[in-house]
Amino acid sequence: MTLSGYEALFFWIFALAAIFAGLLTVMARNAVHSALFLISSLVSVAALFVLSGAEFIAGVQILVYVGGVMVLFLFVIMLVNVGAEERGRDEIFNKSKQVTASLIFCFLLVGGVLYAVSEAYPALQALHQQRTTPEAIAAQKAARERSFPAGATRTSRITDDTERVGNSLYRYASLPFEIASVLLLVAIIGSVMLARTLKQEASADDVDPETLQEEIAADPELAKLEPRTE
Amino acid sequence: MLSSLIPILAFLFQEADRGRLAQTWQAATHPDLSKFLVIGALLFIIGVAGVLTRRNIIVIFMSIELILNAANLNFIAFSRYLQETGSVNAIAGQIFTVFVIVVAAAEAAIGLGIVIALYRNKETIWVDEIDLLKW
Repeated sequence: MTLSGYEALFFWIFALAAIFAGLLTVMARNAVHSALFLISSLVSVAALFVLSGAEFIAGVQILVYVGGVMVLFLFVIMLVNVGAEERGRDEIFNKSKQVTASLIFCFLLVGGVLYAVSEAYPALQALHQQRTTPEAIAAQKAARERSFPAGATRTSRITDDTERVGNSLYRYASLPFEIASVLLLVAIIGSVMLARTLKQEASADDVDPETLQEEIAADPELAKLEPRTE
Repeated sequence: MLSSLIPILAFLFQEADRGRLAQTWQAATHPDLSKFLVIGALLFIIGVAGVLTRRNIIVIFMSIELILNAANLNFIAFSRYLQETGSVNAIAGQIFTVFVIVVAAAEAAIGLGIVIALYRNKETIWVDEIDLLKW
């Protein structure tokens, strides 16, 4: 895979945007700012997905992450509003000894990964160059693109990438797909259970009677709640 | 268009080693798999640093999302690479990415539920004050 021309320009723009937004996510003092920087980082990564020909995944990324997960994050940040952080009273990083140790570890990790990529990548290229030359790849790609019908504006062609993703998802990954649906169900039920207050639990008659008696002693309001029975 | 800039740059850096400069410029204007891997690695490290250094548990969760995204970027880049070099099921990288996104969504829902419950009971979201399980 080699990008060229405008694709390369956009690659560098979005790659730098993703990395800087990621850095600012980690370093922002206000958690809401962190969330907004994370959103811009996710959108930049989605643009990189588009550049590598995964338009469907880019759409899913924006819909699920930005539309779902990050809205959830913002809700929780605003529920758990901690003012001291914004006003600059509290330290946002951990104790300095731990921070130094973890940063040293991170730099070692950076060095290791970059070294591994620079060492292993030529070997990988050589492995694949034996099988296919770049010219053959380009010719194959052009032939595939010609086989697609043109779009309404006649400037681009309608690809079948999304179709192929759907096909593979149901053919090769149908069991993981079903397991993922069960996982999401468990997550929904679990988060509802976790986020209930004692009052809500008491009104659903879901509290141990002894515990309820103790809590009523502390908060007489609870005694007024009629346990709902079906 | 970008390749037309090479003579201009070569003119500006006449003293520099021309072959090597042109090579670097060629690599920069034609980003390949290794560039995607490096970007993914940097995003991953930023996420790891966030998890290890921040005190706010919500920001730690966001850093985890960043780590998962770096993994997704690698999956997509390898998927594209294998599509071009003719692999059997090269689209599998994209399928993996879909599942990673699903798991990330479930993890965020559960994790934030835990944060809400924790804040209700302990009135703090600083991880160095949450030491109930610490011996």
